[in-house]
Amino acid sequence: MGYVALIPLLPALAFAILTPMSRKARTRAVPLALCAALGSLALSVAAFVSVWPGGHAEEPVWQAGVTLAHVGERAVSLGFQLEPVNALMLLVVTVVGTAVQVYSLGYMHREDRIGWYYAVLSLFTAAMLALVLSDNFLGLFMAWEVMGLCSYLLIGFWHEQEGPRLASIKAFLTTKVGDLGFMLALAVIYAEVGSFDFAAVLHAHTWAPAAATAVALLLLFGAMGKSAQVPLHVWLPDAMAGPTPASALIHAATMVAAGVFLVVRAYPIFEASDTALMWTLGVGLVTALAAGLLACVQHDIKKVLAYSTISQLGFMFIALGAGGATAGLYHLVTHAFFKSLLFLGAGVIIHSAHTQDMREMGGLAKHLPVTTAVFGAGALALAGIVPFSGFWSKDEILTVLLHEGHYVGFALALAAAFVTAFYVSRLWFRVFTGPTQQAELHEAHRSMLAPMVVLAAITAGVGFFGPRLGAFLGHDIPWPELSTAAISTGVAGAGIALGWFVYGRSTAVVNTRALKQRYANLYGVLANKYYFDLTYGYFVIGGYSALSRASAAFDSRVVDGVVNGAAAAWRRTAERGWAFDSTIIDGVVNGTAAIVKEAGASLRKIQSGRVRNYQLLVSGAVVLLVVWILVKGA
Amino acid sequence: MDFPLLTVIVFLPLAGAALVALPGNGRPGAARVIAATVAAVDLVLVGWLTLRFDTGAGMQFAEKAAWVPQVGITYHLAVDGMSLAMVALSALLTLLAIVASWKTEKKPAMWFSMLLLLEVGMNGVFVAMDFVLFYVFWELVLVPMYFLIATWGGPRREYAAIKFFLYTLFGSVFMLVGIIALYLQTGTFDILAMAEAGGLAPSFQWWVFAAFFLGFAVKVPVFPLHTWLPDAHVEAPTAASVLLAGILLKMGSYGFLRISLPILPDAARQWSGFLAALAAISIVYGAAVAFAQTDMKKLVAYSSVSHMGFVMLGIASLTPEGLNGAVAVMFSHGVVTGMLFFLVGMVYERTHTRTIAEVSGLSSRVPVAGGLLAFASFASLGLPGLSGFVGEFLSLVGVWSSQIWAGWVVVAAVGVLLAAAYMLWLVQRVVLGGSSPAVETIGDLTKAEIWVLAPLVVLTITVGVYWDSLLRFTDPAVNAVLTLMGGA
Repeated sequence: MGYVALIPLLPALAFAILTPMSRKARTRAVPLALCAALGSLALSVAAFVSVWPGGHAEEPVWQAGVTLAHVGERAVSLGFQLEPVNALMLLVVTVVGTAVQVYSLGYMHREDRIGWYYAVLSLFTAAMLALVLSDNFLGLFMAWEVMGLCSYLLIGFWHEQEGPRLASIKAFLTTKVGDLGFMLALAVIYAEVGSFDFAAVLHAHTWAPAAATAVALLLLFGAMGKSAQVPLHVWLPDAMAGPTPASALIHAATMVAAGVFLVVRAYPIFEASDTALMWTLGVGLVTALAAGLLACVQHDIKKVLAYSTISQLGFMFIALGAGGATAGLYHLVTHAFFKSLLFLGAGVIIHSAHTQDMREMGGLAKHLPVTTAVFGAGALALAGIVPFSGFWSKDEILTVLLHEGHYVGFALALAAAFVTAFYVSRLWFRVFTGPTQQAELHEAHRSMLAPMVVLAAITAGVGFFGPRLGAFLGHDIPWPELSTAAISTGVAGAGIALGWFVYGRSTAVVNTRALKQRYANLYGVLANKYYFDLTYGYFVIGGYSALSRASAAFDSRVVDGVVNGAAAAWRRTAERGWAFDSTIIDGVVNGTAAIVKEAGASLRKIQSGRVRNYQLLVSGAVVLLVVWILVKGA
Repeated sequence: MDFPLLTVIVFLPLAGAALVALPGNGRPGAARVIAATVAAVDLVLVGWLTLRFDTGAGMQFAEKAAWVPQVGITYHLAVDGMSLAMVALSALLTLLAIVASWKTEKKPAMWFSMLLLLEVGMNGVFVAMDFVLFYVFWELVLVPMYFLIATWGGPRREYAAIKFFLYTLFGSVFMLVGIIALYLQTGTFDILAMAEAGGLAPSFQWWVFAAFFLGFAVKVPVFPLHTWLPDAHVEAPTAASVLLAGILLKMGSYGFLRISLPILPDAARQWSGFLAALAAISIVYGAAVAFAQTDMKKLVAYSSVSHMGFVMLGIASLTPEGLNGAVAVMFSHGVVTGMLFFLVGMVYERTHTRTIAEVSGLSSRVPVAGGLLAFASFASLGLPGLSGFVGEFLSLVGVWSSQIWAGWVVVAAVGVLLAAAYMLWLVQRVVLGGSSPAVETIGDLTKAEIWVLAPLVVLTITVGVYWDSLLRFTDPAVNAVLTLMGGA
């Protein structure tokens, strides 16, 4: 089973080989990255097969590690483990990762830094796979941070432009805020357990409610940063400044889901704390609904998908908070496929239409038949229409809410589902139907369509294997109950119908100005994204900048002022002829005088030879000391 | 008697310093070849020392000879893992500094002579196990550094050099008082013997700790005793900045680890809360001030205040995690900040400016320089997998497990975020974007420059990926310190 370790190592190797190359050589070496991705995919399939048929097990199927450090009596180790949960995740990451890499060949072929793009993509894949395989919290955290780096690099891929540059730093710092929680959680875990290993932390240790709450809430905060949950969601829409296939992989399918995966991993700690579960549920509900509403007012097709991602991640947190870790994981898996599919589709649309603004699109269905078909599968999955994958996993979440008695949560989740269906429908009718607004719309190359077709096939089919998947994970994923399914389908249908009513009825280009004017207040709040960015920009960034400038001024005027002032005061004291040993006074006066004179900008007066006096002073002091000691000792 | 390896490592550069001065400033070629050869031989000797070093054996390679037997002053050298890490860093950075300043035109013989003389003091401080010897090396470091700044520095070099000199001297006077007090109490100058013997009255310890604190805290530097540092860095030539940040600051924290903790354990426990508070303030304050800087070098200088705060935080924890973290930050900061100062110097040589606003788009014009600057920045902000993370993380974990108030840990953790802020903001303005006029016509790093940085890049990755490559040396040493403290 040692080959499992190669799964993250292959792309890591690709990164290590590509990075030191020249730009030209790197471009030629792109196939190497692709081979690494394919290799990882093949090995992941092998790993998945070896774990099949899965089921609930106490021990991982395979585990291996190395000692990273010896500290005192403890040893900190890093290692991998394989079990159903991460075998499934391996498959998700490598399938989407390979699809994105194949797609990028076409999408990015005009970029002269395509080699660098593939290098970072490889490093990202390696980190995500290492995160999934990690058998301890420290390794998970380290991979987590490296993914943050890759996300930063890819968002800022076109760093010559201001937008991507600012978006990349915003993403890094906002997620880093969450990471502080993760890091402190690690400190608490270590203080509590003395180890980071899952086996020791999750199974061997009995968590007292107070400690469990602390750790779980800190981890939740970390997960909220990475998974863009309110109020740390602000970076993800801006992250759309990166290349679209990178958005598909990192900011839709995998990295942003790492927060969910973290909570799934640490679930025993969450289960020991009702408070933590309640907060998780709350965060999920707020995010699912709030981000869904924002998706309804975006015009940039990628931003709609970005807010949709935030909202769908919210659904996963709802599941986790309601006690359905498996339902959350299920939705993670289905979402990874259908959302990356939607992003890849959006990439084709953007390339074809030369715009990201949906108001300038329309009638694309006639010109991009394949894209339209596969995008349709993704859209229906997102809206929650049977039999597409999103329907099944979302129903799981709704069922869990009902079974656990979270009726308010159930209602809110339904509302979020309605909103979801509405913005999907809005996007669809804006983009694919209605009058064509551009000339020369071309379908993408086969190499870009093929990965999308694969993802669409998975999206259409995976739902039928729900119960089998549940058994593999060692948990129950039942077929949806007819009543829940009926309600959710009704809600989704209503959302789509409303979308059609607003955007799909007319054959002309839809203008919603009248609607916006009628609900000006509501629209203002949504258009300003609930004022999060403004608040953060003004208070957090503005406040810190001001504080930092004030600190700098304080440092040079007060802290350093005291030093220079003391020197000056010493000089005056000495000048009044107080009775000190003349050597010392001489030395210090000269020195302080020099400082003061310097401040008075008379630079030339000081001779560098003067320092010999000080050295003389020191040597003199040592000699005196030694002599004195000799006398005393004798 | 065995080959006196430590003596040779310490004093070979002294012979080199004299030898370099011989040909005189008129023949720079001879001076730099001699200097580089001596520094390289010294580094090889340190490498040999590292290979022969037994990580399980505590203090080793001891050389002990009577010096002033009447009062028990001995010539006592020895290394443990902590000392070894610092000596290795000192030998490496000295060699790199010599190579990086290969083309020094102003008084070249004197320049290389001073660098080698500096190495004598730096190496000596970390292996001297006798207080008088320690003090001599400690003060010896000041002289060459003074001249390096005052002769080859920027426009305000005289002010900066004297400030550096007097400020440190001010601190070390108190240290001298502490040394005398300890001697009068114990009758020995032997650092190790004193630590072994223990048994000093807690109230006495408290005052001696205070005296040493002033000496060491100025050097580290700890807020609010840090203002000499930015001035010294901004005025100092690149090579001096590298050694100042890379090695000289560590002398202070090394002092805490080698002297204050083992000899004054009760006082250390009493002072730990205060140290942690100052450390946390240094971390956040240094980071905040760094964020506001408009000069690259000053930004890196203030980042040092912030990073050295993590060293002090780890020390204050009095746990194996924290102390290992402290030494790891000391080592990593030497490597990474060395890299940053080298790069800032290389950029300055080309653009003749260090003003952040005037330098932008390095990565499009000079991708190697830009890429390495970004790499060093990420190492500096503590990205896991690179060396900066190891120490910061262990310090935080250690201090959380200790008696220190948890609030300081949270403050320090915020410092990690703030480090990302000032470092990325620097990258944003300097490395990314379109190239500015100052950058428009410059050439990328030369092979020689890449060779200067390459060992530092390798070390950053090696330590970051495999922590034990460093910790296998430091862990036994810090455990010995804690054992001497009576298992705190």
